[in-house]
Amino acid sequence: MPVNLEGVREFARLAQNPQELVRHARGNIELWANLFVIGWAIAFLLWQGFGFAVIVGTVFAIWAILAVSLNLVVGFTGLLSVGHIGFFGLGAYTMAILTSNPAYEQLRTEAIPTFGWSFFAALPVCIGLAGLAALLVGVVFNRFRDDIFVLVSFGFAIIAFNVFLNLRSVTRGAFGIHEIARPQIGNWVFDGEVEFLLLGLAFLALVMLVSWFITTSSFGRVLTAIREDEQAIEVFGYRATHYKLAVWVISAMMTGLAGGLFASWTTFIDPNSFILLESVLLVSIVILGGLATIWGSLLGAMAFVLLEEGMRFIPFLPTEYIGQARQVILGILLVLLMLFRPQGLVGRYRL
Amino acid sequence: MLDNRDNARGLPQLLHMPGTRLMAAALTALALGYIAWKIGQSPPQALQFAFNGLAVGAVYALLAMGFTLVYSTVWFFDLYYGVAAALGAYGVFYLRTDPSLGSRLDINNAYVNVIFGAVVAGVIAWTLHTVLEPRLRGRASPSVIRTGGVVAGVAVGVYTAVVLSYPEYLHVTLSPAIGLATGIIAAMAAYRAGRTVFQGLRPMPFVMAAALPAGALGAWCGYLLSNAPGAGLYLSWGVSCLLAGCVGLALYRGLYVYMRERARSPLIMLVASLGILLAIAALIVIVFQSAPRPLPDAFGSTTWNIAGARIKGFNVFAIGVALAGFASMWFLLKMTSFGRAVRAIGDDEEVSKVVGINTTVIIAAVFFIGALYAAMAGILTGHDTAVQPRMGLLLLLKGWIASVVGGIGNLYGAIVGGFVLGLVEQFGIWDIAGEWKDAISFVLLILFLSFWPQGLLPRK
Repeated sequence: MPVNLEGVREFARLAQNPQELVRHARGNIELWANLFVIGWAIAFLLWQGFGFAVIVGTVFAIWAILAVSLNLVVGFTGLLSVGHIGFFGLGAYTMAILTSNPAYEQLRTEAIPTFGWSFFAALPVCIGLAGLAALLVGVVFNRFRDDIFVLVSFGFAIIAFNVFLNLRSVTRGAFGIHEIARPQIGNWVFDGEVEFLLLGLAFLALVMLVSWFITTSSFGRVLTAIREDEQAIEVFGYRATHYKLAVWVISAMMTGLAGGLFASWTTFIDPNSFILLESVLLVSIVILGGLATIWGSLLGAMAFVLLEEGMRFIPFLPTEYIGQARQVILGILLVLLMLFRPQGLVGRYRL
Repeated sequence: MLDNRDNARGLPQLLHMPGTRLMAAALTALALGYIAWKIGQSPPQALQFAFNGLAVGAVYALLAMGFTLVYSTVWFFDLYYGVAAALGAYGVFYLRTDPSLGSRLDINNAYVNVIFGAVVAGVIAWTLHTVLEPRLRGRASPSVIRTGGVVAGVAVGVYTAVVLSYPEYLHVTLSPAIGLATGIIAAMAAYRAGRTVFQGLRPMPFVMAAALPAGALGAWCGYLLSNAPGAGLYLSWGVSCLLAGCVGLALYRGLYVYMRERARSPLIMLVASLGILLAIAALIVIVFQSAPRPLPDAFGSTTWNIAGARIKGFNVFAIGVALAGFASMWFLLKMTSFGRAVRAIGDDEEVSKVVGINTTVIIAAVFFIGALYAAMAGILTGHDTAVQPRMGLLLLLKGWIASVVGGIGNLYGAIVGGFVLGLVEQFGIWDIAGEWKDAISFVLLILFLSFWPQGLLPRK
């Protein structure tokens, strides 16, 4: 399973002897990070009740899909991409245009193409288009490394945002697209929040499973080798660029899936959801949780979501500053992590 | 410790593909042909676009110069420069918006004043201690030196907080400081000149002879300044640039020094500075709200009509600032021992340390100067369009692109790249909506990295 089983097994072994457990726990940051975030989540659930936690859970599922897919690129392959928000937006806009309600759209002055598809028909298109875009972008980006890769991925995020904002005949620019369809199987519409949470978690599980297959396969081992030393693995006859391109495309497809899910969940999107800042936050989540572990991405996404929800209950903090205060905390956390723990909370790879 | 020499590392080599150079040449010819065709179509409009391009390019050039200076010294991308630009612009906003504009928003925040005062105090204490300690060693006991540094630092910090608290009286509160600085500079110049002319004499009479007229000059300058209410604008620029520089220096001293000792790759530094960018940009939103705001008009809002193009006085001023910035950085880097030390550190930090360069002080100065340039660019943008808390990241990226276009690590490349980027952006949006200009500059970046990775003027 994607969850780090060795850790669980070791914990079970240690739990048989309490003294050993205490000795082991002291100074074990991973254990404390896990306990802290999970404990926080449980406390939150008990405190706020199920209804509120369902909405938070859906937000968590979408962020977690994004984080798991980005971790394939950042953690396992060592390419620090700040541009994944572009693929996320592409997936979301594809879903929006394909499934938004044509009757509603025609009421508006500025007409955009509408199709009125169902969610499950549109989702493969979201994934496919994101993959196609990633292929085109990846062919160009494949030659850049380190700092320059970060720069061009910033560039991709900004170009994508510009397209969403300014290609008004397709995306309706700053007005956004309304009435995006909720998923539907037969007559059963995923209208309630609980159904959507389950759907989101199911997709999260799917993405984790794919990610787990990739990282434990020989393909994943080649990726790790590329991260450690690209020239060395090329000596053994592996074409590093092909592998990097492949993982880039797979990761972008998962991100496109998250985008489709997001559009269908909010039923309204505009370019403000796909600004560069969101991408920076996403990278912070991946690094915070831990590089090169799937569990770390879940942990990072959970900490990120809980941070926002938890801050709602700080009495002296005005509501409109919550997002900003969270960014301040996240920024400080990033600096501290880079100083003391470059692999993130439970990571396997030091940046 | 990072290995510097390894470090044009992110830059790709030219594609090993037949016809790459041909394609680059074809693209260049296409771009030039398009511009020539456009100029032929409507010369006045072309003049207008060229002027706008130069005006925007001036800002990019300033950013690229500061960025190149820092990057070619420590070899990592410091995203703090985005924050420095925003801090500079918001510093002017903080100091200049008066109640008549209705935008004071009771911004004058005691916390902000105290925080900046503390940062300045720390920076001054550290600077005095590191710079003066070797010279005073043996003449005074270490504890006296340390106490003196701390006292002076705290005094300057309190002074900064007071200056920030009464922004409408900048010309009064700053007049003693400027008078003192003028006096000291004049005295040093007179002393140096006297020593050169009358060699071999005892120094004491020169000190007296230099100090008296210099003190008088300083007092006169201070008096003039305190009676000049119009000086508030320039002083606000100076104060905000210095504050942005102090924050940059404090970050270097308080954080980057330790981090550079541990960091295994430049990406660690990059991510850490990303964290700083996130945190400080969010703090700016908390203090100033996120809506874009105009800075009050500086001057030069009148436009001239030259050959059918509308030319704004402030933009001419911006181009002038960029050229002056280039000239002063050229002088600093090519003509002084400081510049030699900077280049030595850029080539090999370990060896420069071995030959006796105080790398910590030099790199701190580099960070300070880089932040000054970024803050200047932010202020110019703010006066030209508006200030926005998130303006920093985009400005920083533009400066980064400009330095890649011009050739990373080359001072001439930075200014050329800045103006080229500005011109390309402006000519690029001739036929399409202006909102695409960010996309155009990143397409230019990707084209350059693919076909011309060393930039227009490669670093030797």
